[in-house]
Amino acid sequence: MTRQGRLLEIGPTDNTSDQRTPRQLLRLIPEEARASFIPVVPARYASNPHEWDMTRVAPDRPRADGVPIEVTGSVKTQSGAPVRHALLEVWSANHYGRYRHVEDMSGLQLDKNHLGLGRVLTDEDGNYRFLAISPGAYLARPDIGRWRPKHIHISVSGGASRLITQMYFPDEPNNQSDPMAILMGDAFERNIGKPFEPANNDLDEAYRFDIVVGGRNATYFE
Amino acid sequence: MSPNRQNQLPATNEDTSGPYFPIAFGDPALEDLTRFEVGMVGQATGTPIILRGKILDRHGDLAHGAIMEFWQANAKGVYRTPATKDNPDVENWFHGYGRLRSHTGYYEFRTILPGAVAERAPNITITLFSDGISRVVTQMFFEGNDANADDPILQTVGEDAPKLIARHDGRTAKGEEVYLFNIVMAGDGETPFFDDLES
Repeated sequence: MTRQGRLLEIGPTDNTSDQRTPRQLLRLIPEEARASFIPVVPARYASNPHEWDMTRVAPDRPRADGVPIEVTGSVKTQSGAPVRHALLEVWSANHYGRYRHVEDMSGLQLDKNHLGLGRVLTDEDGNYRFLAISPGAYLARPDIGRWRPKHIHISVSGGASRLITQMYFPDEPNNQSDPMAILMGDAFERNIGKPFEPANNDLDEAYRFDIVVGGRNATYFE
Repeated sequence: MSPNRQNQLPATNEDTSGPYFPIAFGDPALEDLTRFEVGMVGQATGTPIILRGKILDRHGDLAHGAIMEFWQANAKGVYRTPATKDNPDVENWFHGYGRLRSHTGYYEFRTILPGAVAERAPNITITLFSDGISRVVTQMFFEGNDANADDPILQTVGEDAPKLIARHDGRTAKGEEVYLFNIVMAGDGETPFFDDLES
């Protein structure tokens, strides 16, 4: 059989997915054009030193409502090489399930102490760490009663391809009905943070979330 | 880059950016690559261009809130990567990576006309993130460039090639060449997208 690119699937009960998902097979990239598809995000686009603590809007302001958690892990390529100095851009809802984004019209409660976004870099060994408030689940489709489970958005620049993903939480009742989780099938397990005991008394929960950036385009980073 | 994929770690699943990608992560310097930073002397060499157009969904409606990322060579046809660190044609004031969030579905990106890389017609790689999808990637080309006829990407899409070629729309009073490029995410007139994980 001739090799083909993937057919992207449409998330069940996700109207935007129906509107925006390409219907044609993705095209394979000829070998001589492969290298041109790997963006190298310049290092000047970097983090501020305080942004690793996303539980407060600034270092001198109080912690937001809810459960403060630590999220830590590694970023690797599929061949296991650490991705050093990768940029992680992180965003998540507050304890009540509300984003501070101007287009979040949910009417859910804002928390004046919650910013809910930040940028961190991986270190020399490809590891990262940040603090966040455990995000609330929210009703994404009130008309059919479908919730979005608790999740933290993470964008990774660096490594074999651009990756935007989400970290989910174990044993959440809404995980099964989430459109993207349904599309992932058994592989959804990879996107769930693994709980461990936080070393710091200041934190209630800690999760390990190891990220593997897919794709064969690892040329520049290994 | 081993052909043996059995020993590879399973990749983290891509997931949608959702509708709330932080506008706060925006950076004006990534939306206009013709100048490096506000108030600073130093800029890229080459022909300034304005690339503008619409991002449409399968009903022809504007795909508001989409994130676009751009990746291109400089005017001399050199990508700025770790591999080209010592290439004398790499420019200090041009990194070739851009990003913007299109609030409405209309976009405008200011940059330098990329030079031709060996065996390729000048092009810009565009990555789209938005609610409803995780990530799609395409590459756009410039009307009137003789190298388009032999470009491997344009050849591989066959009769869809015109969908990847931006239309030239004159020159501004400031000397910027204007190119129009619409992206149709799904349905009739769908833009060809590429699989950079399976290729």
